[in-house]
Amino acid sequence: MLQVDDIRAGYDRLEILQGVSLSVAPRQIVGVIGPNGAGKSTLLKTIFGYIRPFSGRIALRGEILNGYRPDKVMRQRVGFVAQANGLFAEMTIQENLLLGGYSIGNTSAVRHAMEEVYERFPLFRERRRQLAGSLSGGEQRLLAIARSLIIKPELLLLDEPSAALAPRFIDDVYATLRKLNAQGIAMLVVEQNTGVILDVADRVFVLEMGTNAFDGTPAELLADDRIRRLYLGSEAA
Amino acid sequence: MLESILEFLILGIVLGGIYAMFSTGLTLIFGVLDVINVAHGEFFAIGGYIVFVAVVLLHLSPVLGILAATSGSFLLGLAIYPLLIKPMKRRLGRRPQGPLFLVLTLGLSTFLQSSMLAIGGGDYLRVPPFVRGMLDLTFTAVSYQRLLILSVAAVSLAALFLFLHFHRQGMAIRAVALNPDAAQAVGINLGMIFTLALALGVGLAGMAGALIAPLFNVYPAVGFAFTIKAFAITILGGLGNLAGALLASFVIAIVETLSVLVIPSQWQNVIAFAIMILVLLIRPQGLLGRADQK
Repeated sequence: MLQVDDIRAGYDRLEILQGVSLSVAPRQIVGVIGPNGAGKSTLLKTIFGYIRPFSGRIALRGEILNGYRPDKVMRQRVGFVAQANGLFAEMTIQENLLLGGYSIGNTSAVRHAMEEVYERFPLFRERRRQLAGSLSGGEQRLLAIARSLIIKPELLLLDEPSAALAPRFIDDVYATLRKLNAQGIAMLVVEQNTGVILDVADRVFVLEMGTNAFDGTPAELLADDRIRRLYLGSEAA
Repeated sequence: MLESILEFLILGIVLGGIYAMFSTGLTLIFGVLDVINVAHGEFFAIGGYIVFVAVVLLHLSPVLGILAATSGSFLLGLAIYPLLIKPMKRRLGRRPQGPLFLVLTLGLSTFLQSSMLAIGGGDYLRVPPFVRGMLDLTFTAVSYQRLLILSVAAVSLAALFLFLHFHRQGMAIRAVALNPDAAQAVGINLGMIFTLALALGVGLAGMAGALIAPLFNVYPAVGFAFTIKAFAITILGGLGNLAGALLASFVIAIVETLSVLVIPSQWQNVIAFAIMILVLLIRPQGLLGRADQK
């Protein structure tokens, strides 16, 4: 579904991704882990079009996405859920969801998609006139995920969905992601919380200094002494 | 005394309407683009020139004149982002941009003012009132021209509010002002919204310039005093806060006009800036701004 080949990207002249390759198959959950500064978020932003790659190739279902702006990438039914602060805090829940359908344009299609989201997340229907910024951290993350569903994505890019959340909220967020994946949405998830991503991912990529350090299943990763020692520490050893 | 207060209060409300149209545009541009548009007053003057050409030279109706001024300045505004700001943003990359944009819009201001001087000359041009007559309120009389200004200001600001809250592109403007990264994540094209916000902002300035042309003469620097006053209003309301700018416009205008009752009129202009300095010292985020806002 998504194929990233030898991508080089960064900010100004600073090259953060130095030839990263990965792929996501339909209905797969693919995790990307690695130390801070390895380029995980830069990778997601490059795929979504926030950052224009210096070289390499990003293809979705065979269509080259290089140079596409985020709005154009989104029209390929790719959703993006930012790490934190990804909502319009001073707008209501309803307005946030309406804006989730901005790229669709057709108001009745957006309203219909919103109804589906409200059915999945009844809490947001009840509190639709509440400001998004007044929700708890876990609810805000769920709202960001709910908003990304308005375009009926086939692929979701998620930047650290567990960041800054209490454990019970992390469970809620990942339970939701599992359900969405079971309904056919593929996911590329950047995570610092390796324990949680190894639990759900079909495949894991490890980034190190902007290059691929590992590519395999969670079981293969756990069997690799060097990677396990470097990135999982004693937690999974 | 009460009659005088009411009389000046009415004048203050009319002046507040003009300030509101002008400073709401300036605030909209700052809120969305983080750019202080020093050239805002020149679009106000352009609105005045367009209405002069339409009404005085071409003998068109004032309604057509105001529409031409608004759409003319709106169309000029559409060109600012793609021709000036976008190329500069691209060149600057991640370097700080604020001071350079200030210089850029200052350059635009001088360019437009000099162009108006070269084309129209420095003469003070008179535009006749769009409507004649006075409304007699027994204690005072208000010209229909002033009431027209207030009505158009109220309708256009209400339309702006409805657009920003209920139209897809208006909501996108608010979204970009609140969180540009999140706006991109929902597929909003930032460049298009920057272009639209700038055009709307200067379109409002052009409309204000056309509306008050019969009260002031039209000349290249007619908008300068308004620009300076609008900075005070924008800071008083809270930078980038539209509701704050609206409130501050009426506060400044009413205090200014009422102050004439107690202090000599030559001190009138001092009032706005005294209030601005006081607010900066006591509440730097402005009347409706939050402490953590830009």
